Amino acid sequence: GGARGRGVSPGPVPGGGHHAGVSPGQGWSCRAVLGEGHQRTVRRVAWSPCGSYLASASFDATTCIWKKQEDGFECVTTLEGHENEVKSVAWAPSGTLLATCSRDKSVWVWEVDEEEEYECVSVLNSHTQDVKHVVWHPNQELLASASYDDTVKLYHEEEDDWVCCATLEGHESTVWSVAFDRSGERLASCSDDKTVRIWRQYKPGNEEGVACSGTDPTWKCVCNLSGYHSRTIYDVAWCHLTGALATACGDDAIRVFEESASSEPQQPTFSLAAHVPRAHSQDVNCVAWNPKEPGLLASCSDDGDIAFWRYQRPEVC
Amino acid sequence: MAVASPSSDMFDEIVMAEERFHGEGYQEGYAEGSHVGVVEGRRYGSLHGAKIGSEIGSYLGFALTWQCLLQNCTDEKNSKKIRALDSLIGMIQKFPYEDPTYDKLQEDLEKIRGKFKQVCSVLNIQSDFRISTERSSLTF
Repeated sequence: GGARGRGVSPGPVPGGGHHAGVSPGQGWSCRAVLGEGHQRTVRRVAWSPCGSYLASASFDATTCIWKKQEDGFECVTTLEGHENEVKSVAWAPSGTLLATCSRDKSVWVWEVDEEEEYECVSVLNSHTQDVKHVVWHPNQELLASASYDDTVKLYHEEEDDWVCCATLEGHESTVWSVAFDRSGERLASCSDDKTVRIWRQYKPGNEEGVACSGTDPTWKCVCNLSGYHSRTIYDVAWCHLTGALATACGDDAIRVFEESASSEPQQPTFSLAAHVPRAHSQDVNCVAWNPKEPGLLASCSDDGDIAFWRYQRPEVC
Repeated sequence: MAVASPSSDMFDEIVMAEERFHGEGYQEGYAEGSHVGVVEGRRYGSLHGAKIGSEIGSYLGFALTWQCLLQNCTDEKNSKKIRALDSLIGMIQKFPYEDPTYDKLQEDLEKIRGKFKQVCSVLNIQSDFRISTERSSLTF
């Protein structure tokens, strides 16, 4: 009780018991409370791809790794190194890599081996300000980060070390979150500038004639969703089952966008398919699509609630 | 000074006097400012350069010491540490110290700092070498 809803992770959710938008009889119950790990705000949680581990990123500058046991969770390791608040943590689809980011402006990449030993493989100082979020590409070892410096940066491994291979500029203020689409060809970013931007990857030798430097792909902004949100957009989630794009906004609303049927790959168009103006009574901080059940969306807010929503794509979109 | 006619020249001098003094004053001030600026800039540059040198130097000393301490360890665990140390030493040695106009100066410095942090993590050492809890003893 009293914990502010700061993050949701798609997985077997240890939810808060709020029943909004779910048919009666299908309640959510709290299975565990992991209270002994952190000294300050827990800002983000992330399930490992195998589902056996949960990572928690905290303002106490540490990241805890929890292992699921029969009767609860046990903290198997604490990752230290960041100088101050850790803002986000994310597992790579391979399950062997983990990324963390912090107000200390850096992004750390960690590797875990079969013996559950974690080792830092890289410390990336590319951003010039607080890094808000990190997210992995769905099928490549490519990492994206969003920052208070108004940019999104991408990183990959080159000759045994991680390097920044692209910087996406365009937002006019803090980028709070990023999300890849199912294929990983596109990225959505949301910002304090009240827009959601869609970026597309152009590989060297692409037929559209977009210039690339060396072997690195170039990312170009192909769509800018502006005029829909009246406040900062704190999170964006791209459903890998349906392609729907959900946003969490500081105006307490949740919105869902769908790509139009007439959308072109180089110039996609999205339209607002759903809008819940008072989804919460305060800022919505996070939204997450259930990875198995289409249309099931979780959200959390400064109002302390976690809410579950059922979304259905409207007929005309 | 070429004289158009005696009367216009005399008034010229008086009327244009303020503007002339203004101009001369500006020239003098600019020259003095440039000179003082260069002196201050040089002082700042050498201070800043010394700071960076001191920082990188401490990373190098630290890395060389550990390289020495681990030189007889051949197991897998330590080979990762040795590889990380070699990488840091390599980056430091490749850095162009004689060229303050090197366009990737800040970028490479940040890479070195990041590498140092990663090495500390792998060696299980706190990178700010805190002796007391008040403030970091590592300031450059």
